[in-house]
Amino acid sequence: MSRWGMVVDLRKCVGCQTCTIACKQTNNTPPRVFWRWVADCETGTYPDVQRSFVPMGCQHCTNPPCLEVCPTTATYKRADGIVDIDYDLCIGCGYCIVACPYLARNIVFETAPYYEAGLIPPEQVLAHPDRVGVATKCNFCFPRVQEGLARGLVPGVAPDATPMCVGACISNAMHFGDLDNPESNISRYIRENQTVRLSEELGTESAIYYIVQ
Amino acid sequence: MKDEHVVTNSFVQSKVPEYCYQCVAGPDLLNVCVENGVATRIEPNWKFGDIHPAAGRVCVKAYGLIQKTYNPYRVKKPMVRTNPNKGHDQDPQWKEVSWDEALDLVAQKLLAVKAKGVRDESGYPRLAVTFGSGGIAPAYTGALPAFLGTWGPVDFGIGSGQGVKCYHSEHLYGEFWHRAFTVQSDTPRTNYLISFGNNNDASGGVLGVWRHAQARERGLKRVQFEPHLSVTGAHAQWVPLKPKTDAAVLFALIHVILHERDWRKECDIEFLRGMTNSPYLVGPNGYFMRDPETRKPLMWDPAENRARPFDEKFQPALVGEFEVPGIEVGPDGAVMEHAHAPAQTAFQKMIEHVREYTPEWAEKISGASAATIRQVAREFLENANVGGTIEIEGKTYPHRPVAILLGKTVTNGWGGYETLWGRTVLTTLVGALEVPGGTIGTTVRLNRPGHDRLASARPGPDGFMDQPLNPTDKENWQAKPKIRNAYQTLVPLANNSPWSAALGPAHLPWLFMKDPPDHWPRPTAPDIWFIYRTNPAISHWDSDTVSEQMSKFPFIVAFAYTPDETNWNADVLLPEATDLESYQLYRIGGTKYIEQYWKHQGYALRQPAAPSPVDCLDLTDIATELAKRTGVLNEYIAALNKGGGTGIALKGKDFDYTLPADVPPTTEQIWDRACRAATRELSKGAVEYDLAWFKENGAYFVPFPEQDWFLHTAMAAKGLRYELPYQERIWRAGQELGNRLHEQGITWWDTQLHEYSPLPVWKDFPDIWARIAEQFDKKPDDYDVWLLTSRSMQYSWGSNVGIPVLADVAKNVKGHFGVMLNAQTAKRANIREGDWVWIESPLKRVKGHAILREGVRPDCAVTLQQFGHWVTPVAKDLNMPNLNQLSPLHLALTDATGSGADVVRVKIYKV
Repeated sequence: MSRWGMVVDLRKCVGCQTCTIACKQTNNTPPRVFWRWVADCETGTYPDVQRSFVPMGCQHCTNPPCLEVCPTTATYKRADGIVDIDYDLCIGCGYCIVACPYLARNIVFETAPYYEAGLIPPEQVLAHPDRVGVATKCNFCFPRVQEGLARGLVPGVAPDATPMCVGACISNAMHFGDLDNPESNISRYIRENQTVRLSEELGTESAIYYIVQ
Repeated sequence: MKDEHVVTNSFVQSKVPEYCYQCVAGPDLLNVCVENGVATRIEPNWKFGDIHPAAGRVCVKAYGLIQKTYNPYRVKKPMVRTNPNKGHDQDPQWKEVSWDEALDLVAQKLLAVKAKGVRDESGYPRLAVTFGSGGIAPAYTGALPAFLGTWGPVDFGIGSGQGVKCYHSEHLYGEFWHRAFTVQSDTPRTNYLISFGNNNDASGGVLGVWRHAQARERGLKRVQFEPHLSVTGAHAQWVPLKPKTDAAVLFALIHVILHERDWRKECDIEFLRGMTNSPYLVGPNGYFMRDPETRKPLMWDPAENRARPFDEKFQPALVGEFEVPGIEVGPDGAVMEHAHAPAQTAFQKMIEHVREYTPEWAEKISGASAATIRQVAREFLENANVGGTIEIEGKTYPHRPVAILLGKTVTNGWGGYETLWGRTVLTTLVGALEVPGGTIGTTVRLNRPGHDRLASARPGPDGFMDQPLNPTDKENWQAKPKIRNAYQTLVPLANNSPWSAALGPAHLPWLFMKDPPDHWPRPTAPDIWFIYRTNPAISHWDSDTVSEQMSKFPFIVAFAYTPDETNWNADVLLPEATDLESYQLYRIGGTKYIEQYWKHQGYALRQPAAPSPVDCLDLTDIATELAKRTGVLNEYIAALNKGGGTGIALKGKDFDYTLPADVPPTTEQIWDRACRAATRELSKGAVEYDLAWFKENGAYFVPFPEQDWFLHTAMAAKGLRYELPYQERIWRAGQELGNRLHEQGITWWDTQLHEYSPLPVWKDFPDIWARIAEQFDKKPDDYDVWLLTSRSMQYSWGSNVGIPVLADVAKNVKGHFGVMLNAQTAKRANIREGDWVWIESPLKRVKGHAILREGVRPDCAVTLQQFGHWVTPVAKDLNMPNLNQLSPLHLALTDATGSGADVVRVKIYKV
């Protein structure tokens, strides 16, 4: 069984938000809901200032804090490492939103349109009434990955079998693949570069590795 | 699980290939996913991943096209104004009409104007047309230019603003010096990059971002001189720089190399000697010493101890002063004869010229430390690889992996010439101009052929490339401007190509309509003004004045996507089919504009992806209808057959797809023939693909030689020299221009005339912007903050301020939506994050939210892009301050090329 993960090369990311908007469109997330976004971080004081861009989203932790606090088992972990939410079981209590150290979860209580005038045809075609009043977040585009696998494609190599944010990234900063396969693209990246995972001290063992230099 | 619908491709009924050209760093290729007859999503067109240099991907703006198409606030039908009064406070009171009614009205106006004569009493064209961003509009205008081409004189020079949108002065000097209307680094091979405000990661498009990211991964070092730490500066050594002092740093870098380093060992002597005018001898009056008979410039032959014409074979002296017989040729044919006169090489003159520009001098002016300047000079030399070579496609080239890029505000307005000269000369010192790894051009627009830089490098006078300047001699100078921005009269470098109108002083029409100058034709408004993809009421400096002037225009036809601040004054709104709703075949690849240098070239198609939600019409259909209704159908068809509008001649050596006369062609017929002709021409007859093929496949490519990225290929083959460092021709043209203007009694351009100099000198450029307050009877010291603009990738160029998803994602990038201030400066003024602040210039004050940052110089503030909308739906709710409302429209802020910069001195205080 594969264990899906990502490598993000922070040397390359320019914070353009192409992954952000590609994710929004692919998953038809409503205004102000981001399953994937890029943080624009500034550190230091003038004139010794550094600016960096950090793609954020669900880290698909090995030990997900969101899962532990879910009172209905709506949040669960798949065998391939993807943390997902069963909307039928979710009661929208928001515990997981508070528990996630990566601010990766969202909840909305009504389907808001982007234009004040109302939902436009693509929003209607891609509507998700099942996502109102429940927690939502990145799922590594797993149906896309699964469909690609079924077609014999290699996730992380073939765009049609890869999360949309990765396939859309215009700096080639984001990579997706199998953490359990030592020959996969991301295993090589991790082996050949200095990487960190966010908030490692929390013991979450995130599935997203960041190349920092 | 529930959501498989969204993220799989199973439910996509079709994918429609398109191109995106929302910025001049394109086109890029995409697919539109269509479900249930609705365009739902954008995807990169990964199919072209091996051809498109960024793996077939598209940037954030392209994804906005879905919401753009289905924007509920679009103009849904043609509209005519019913309120005869115009102005900010006058609601147009739009009334819906049919397309027939709207087109008849426009045609009748055109015919009425034609009956009066195509030029007005001042000699200006009665018809004016303004397209937003010269580089982008042609990818969307369909066959409209073919119709305009039938008209006769059209004023294309009423500008929509320069500043953040344009490199202006770089276009003119870049093309003059190295056929580089657009200047780039050879990013795949550059190892060391000096940037003055070049914000590539926001404005370099997909290819720019992709290539620079790969370059960083392999170790590219970038030094970023700029007043605020931009998106691009994030991955660089940031050197905070006072605005408009870039030239001082560049002069100091040259000083370090020529006065503190061992330039004889570290510079590319062979290049300087053989491919520049460095060895040309300069006489006592500042002109090249020339052979009296042939008038060829002379160089000193140390072996024979005599001066010889530049085109004889010998190794000339690079430095020194010599006693030389010969002549100098000054302005208006003045000949200065010398039996023996002291003459220095141009290089020697440059050495003397930069002697005073020490790093310590530059530090006081710019804020960049002398140590940093020396560090950058040293690293530049260390990385230049002088003497190194590289093989490309079997041919050996110099390999100089150092490049210098400039930003828009840096190249525009006062100081632009000096900065551009400094950048280009610094590049030549190590032979890094137009060679692999170095600073290269991608585009020609003032010379021909426009699609082939290398062929455009034709031998001209004095061993340089030919580039006709607008005449400044007594017989041929255009004393009476033919269009309102007077580019042929005032700007010799603007040349006279179809692009030149957009490159003249395009803000002068607005300024002169407000304040007519002396000894000049009376400024007039055009009888008819067509506008497309432009909003000068927002994008132009002193936007209030511009709005007021356009409200006096008698008849405005606006191709309109939504109501906006400019078409608020229109008489007719024509809702044109937008990006995903209309047809166009467009050239792609080769070399062109920003980061566009490919190993392939070809054509890509735009096409309707799904039924449009509004009653719009393809611009090509509009053009055909107007041609029919104004009685110029046959002329229009003839123009189409020659490639007018489409850019593709329908008849070639081995094919003839010309449209028959008298029969109005459909849009599909026009593009079908264009597809066939383009593929036949490009494949040299090997293939022929029709519109149906392109609709299915999206794009057609053939290989493009990498050697053609480098002008060196042509320069070396043709034995040409770069016209650097000495600017004899420009200086002479400036003097002649002064003579002509003074003969007319015109003195209001005298300050601009001082810019013409053979070796540019530093002037206190920042002070020009500081002192403008005095023109408004205000004290310069009261305005202690430099307000600047910077690019936002989400918003640059795309005409997409009304797309809410872009605002949603842009909020993740600092600077949207407010004014960026230095945190410590703000603290002293008791301004906190999010506070409303007034930003006040001598002209006006506007409000904005404070965004506090450490990465901004304490004496600077920055607003992104251009907002301040009050009509455009969605955008008017963004509460974004606009520099253009604060920036005066003034001759004192106009340089000799006719450009200005997005710089204004303001004071900022809490509301």
